Amino acid sequence: MYGLVVVGFSAGGIEPMRSLLAALRADYPLPVAAVAHLPPGSGAGFTALFASAGALPTAFAVDKEAIRPGRACFAPADYHLLIENGERFALSVDQPVNFVRPSIDVLFESAAEVYGKRLIALTLSGASSDGAKGMAAVRKRGGMTIALAPDECVRSSLTDAVLKLVDVDYCVGIDEIIALLQGVR
Amino acid sequence: MSARDLEDIEAELLLLALRERYGYDFAGYARASLIRRLRQMVEFFAVADLADLLPIVLRNERVAQAVINFVSVPVSEFFRDPPVWGYVREHLIPALESFPRINVWQIGCGHGQETYSVAILLRECGLAHKARMITTDINADLLATAKRGRWPAEQFGQWRANYLAAGGTTDFDDYFEHTGDEVSIRADRLQPIEFVEHNLVTDDAFLETQFIVCRNVLIYFGDALQARALGVFGRSLERGGYLLLGTAESILDGDPAWSTVQPELRVFRRTTAPAVTCTGW
Ligand SMILES: C[S@@+](CC[C@H](N)C(=O)[O-])C[C@H]1O[C@@H](n2cnc3c(N)ncnc32)[C@H](O)[C@@H]1O
Repeated sequence: MYGLVVVGFSAGGIEPMRSLLAALRADYPLPVAAVAHLPPGSGAGFTALFASAGALPTAFAVDKEAIRPGRACFAPADYHLLIENGERFALSVDQPVNFVRPSIDVLFESAAEVYGKRLIALTLSGASSDGAKGMAAVRKRGGMTIALAPDECVRSSLTDAVLKLVDVDYCVGIDEIIALLQGVR
Repeated sequence: MSARDLEDIEAELLLLALRERYGYDFAGYARASLIRRLRQMVEFFAVADLADLLPIVLRNERVAQAVINFVSVPVSEFFRDPPVWGYVREHLIPALESFPRINVWQIGCGHGQETYSVAILLRECGLAHKARMITTDINADLLATAKRGRWPAEQFGQWRANYLAAGGTTDFDDYFEHTGDEVSIRADRLQPIEFVEHNLVTDDAFLETQFIVCRNVLIYFGDALQARALGVFGRSLERGGYLLLGTAESILDGDPAWSTVQPELRVFRRTTAPAVTCTGW
């Protein structure tokens, strides 16, 4: 019944994201799209951070590419990642949102419009509030919202902002998040 | 009826107004980011919704121009993605020298930063005297701004760093004049650039070219417009000529009109196959 998992994080989010992708494995049935705030110019090396044997492979999203399972697609550095009608990726160099490009809000809000109830949105550790409005949009359209518990975040500003704005479905540790995501397969 | 349906209709009406009244057709543009920008206009003009924007856009040309400028996303940078420009400097421009005539067409000028980046490279690679450079955009306002070549100095440090990372060989600052918190390009140091209005949605190839730079324009197009634009590039480029796209843009594998020269940096080459002729345009 779910069609897409979207993930957002910044500072401190790489570790939990690694655990997540390692646990989901390459045959995870749902497509995954992610926004991380990375320094501009972070090139191909970034996606390699998440590589480990058997893990869900990662790639940078390409404009108008069909969204399909078997990979986690990241927003390329300095581009917003959006979801288009017809369940495809789209990119833009529109102005930064919340002072950042890519912005988590931009991905989550556009994904909520296309996937509605069939969306799972997840925020991990982060040092800004970008992502909170996006979670609210997902919630409003009936998608599942999950935030990494503050005590497992290196930086909890993101979780704090999410909890302030949204009555999330789950605010739990990474092991439980993994179990939840595995459970929807 | 849901709020979403209403917004769709309002967006449709607004796009219709921009087309019928001002000749700008954004209908085939990628929807998700277009809708976001229209919503930002609602906030900017402090109106309740898109429908409230409609009467102002219809009657007030200056507001309409502001909307059009915002919707066309004039975001640019000097030497954005330095590895791309390093490759252009080291491989692509030298390869152009084998053509008897060199016409360089840069499409989508934004505020001109990328335009002058290309001109700087041509100069530093010793091709400025041989090459003709044309830059085009849908938006006459942006062409005028780009031609003026003046920007807030805010990002200048980043641009200089990009230039150096892309293998710049002289003092970047020598290309500019600093006045207060602005920088202006010293156009006299570069070859002449022709600024021409041209719309990838409605106009066709108008010149035989050997190198086309079109970065971060196709991401704003839906499928049909992307296909049309590639047809225009294919009809303009001499066989063996080069096409440079943005780092997030690509050509579908298996299009016989194109071969991939450098996949990561999005460098393509016009093969000898005929360019697809667009029907229905
Ligand atoms: C994001 S800017 C890219 C600027 C520059 N190429 C760069 O990458 O730095 C997009 C540009 O494409 C232009 N554009 C949009 N639609 C167009 C069309 N149909 N035909 C030609 N140019 C268009 C816009 O006016 C704007 O200047």
